[in-house]
Amino acid sequence: MDTNDLKLEEDYIDCFQEIANVAMGRAADLLARILEVFIILPIPNVNLLEASELKMALSAIDENEQVSAVCQGFIGGGLSGEALLIFNDTSFTDIAKLNKNKAIKEADESLELEILMDTSNILIGACLKGIAEQLDINFSQGHPTVLGRHVNISDLVKNNDQRWKKTLAIEINYTIENHNVNCDLLLLFTEDSLKMLKEKANYLLS
Amino acid sequence: MDDITEFHWLMDMIQNIDVGLIILDREYRVQTWNGFMENHSGISADRAKSKEIFELFPEIDKKWLINKAESVFLLKNQAFTIWEQRPYVFRFKNYRPITGTANFMYQNTTIFPLESAQGEVQYISLLIYDVTDVASNRAALKAANANLKKLSRSDTLTGLYNRGYWEKLLRSEFRRAKRTRHPLSLIMLDIDYFKKINDTYGHQAGDDVIRSTSTIITQCKRETDIAGRYGGEEFCLILIDTTAKNAALFANRLRQTIEKKPVIYMSKKIHYTISLGIAEFNYKFSSHEDWLKASDKALYQSKEGGRNQISIYNHDT
Repeated sequence: MDTNDLKLEEDYIDCFQEIANVAMGRAADLLARILEVFIILPIPNVNLLEASELKMALSAIDENEQVSAVCQGFIGGGLSGEALLIFNDTSFTDIAKLNKNKAIKEADESLELEILMDTSNILIGACLKGIAEQLDINFSQGHPTVLGRHVNISDLVKNNDQRWKKTLAIEINYTIENHNVNCDLLLLFTEDSLKMLKEKANYLLS
Repeated sequence: MDDITEFHWLMDMIQNIDVGLIILDREYRVQTWNGFMENHSGISADRAKSKEIFELFPEIDKKWLINKAESVFLLKNQAFTIWEQRPYVFRFKNYRPITGTANFMYQNTTIFPLESAQGEVQYISLLIYDVTDVASNRAALKAANANLKKLSRSDTLTGLYNRGYWEKLLRSEFRRAKRTRHPLSLIMLDIDYFKKINDTYGHQAGDDVIRSTSTIITQCKRETDIAGRYGGEEFCLILIDTTAKNAALFANRLRQTIEKKPVIYMSKKIHYTISLGIAEFNYKFSSHEDWLKASDKALYQSKEGGRNQISIYNHDT
């Protein structure tokens, strides 16, 4: 691969950030409609992550028993990657209160899984759809996997050392106003998606 | 190739694909489903048509599925459910009814909106994936890991904790004792003249003696007490919430029980005894090793004193 393909110039960062902004705004709007709350959005973070950096971030999830994570693969239009939703466990009780369909005060394990899945369905789905529409492509999504419950996260990245060096990461942190709910959405694109993403960005920039 | 032929090919694929395809309307009435659904449910698409899905499958958790599906209608978003949430939505038989280990088909599902030309969502589609193999493998893996964990902790001959794991527990009990100030006692015990038993009756007899000793320890101790095999013919016990005085009562009972219960080996009665050393937890100990040494000293005293007896470590010496 041409080394130029693995660099990320300012213009591209701005462009990806803008795309992410639109997509995540959409996702937040859907979540707000379901939960009837106001969602606070920060500016998405766009970064090229080294494999080792991602590994460190993932091991942090592994060591910290206070978080749960869902990951879901996507592919289409020459792009592929995984979406990772990292959920602070202290958020469960608060989001369970918000979810009016469930008259439960304390979140138990199976309810936590339901909340995790429902939230990831909305946030990951809407974000990916928002990105796909702007780039004029269509993503197929694999079934989500809950990390940490049956899977040892450090094992997940350990075996992948050789396959890629860098990943384009878009990080979005969602917070719900007046509630102790905090989750992090990471969209990770593969190395070989970068070329296509840049082409699409060129088209949007011109 | 004309469009009609291609259309028929597509229809054939849909009919034959090994994934369940269902179309539901706003009222959860089945509009159509494919061959997978026909074969696994035993209900043809014609018969299912216009029937409410909850009527066809009373086992479905109605509230749960509606909750998922409504968000698809409302948000025009895909929704996924995985077998860890619910093992299945439709109770279908395992695809391998003879050699499969699960009684039913584990399922993942995808629900996605079908938009009309006007962009409205009046219908949704359900995809049903068979993930029985994944679920069964994971259950098997979990059982294997639990077994491995147990094996790595226990001594194969006696089933008591092995030395490594027992010492780990001792370390954490030592730390806890420093914090909580609850009394806590340690017992080291050793089978008297074990070498003689081995030499006289053979190693298998020796093994029987060790096994019998561990069985009696397990029967005598309380559930919360932590017993391990320390080495060859040496055993160790942590007695929770127990002073040295009470530990001595326990130790004597154990000693007498073993004295009275010979091991029968090849129809020969092997009488044997044990010696014990007791050390209560003390703040003078800087580590759990000091504590172990203390109980070892007391054990040595019992041996010196003529065996088949107990000794308590004196903290003032």
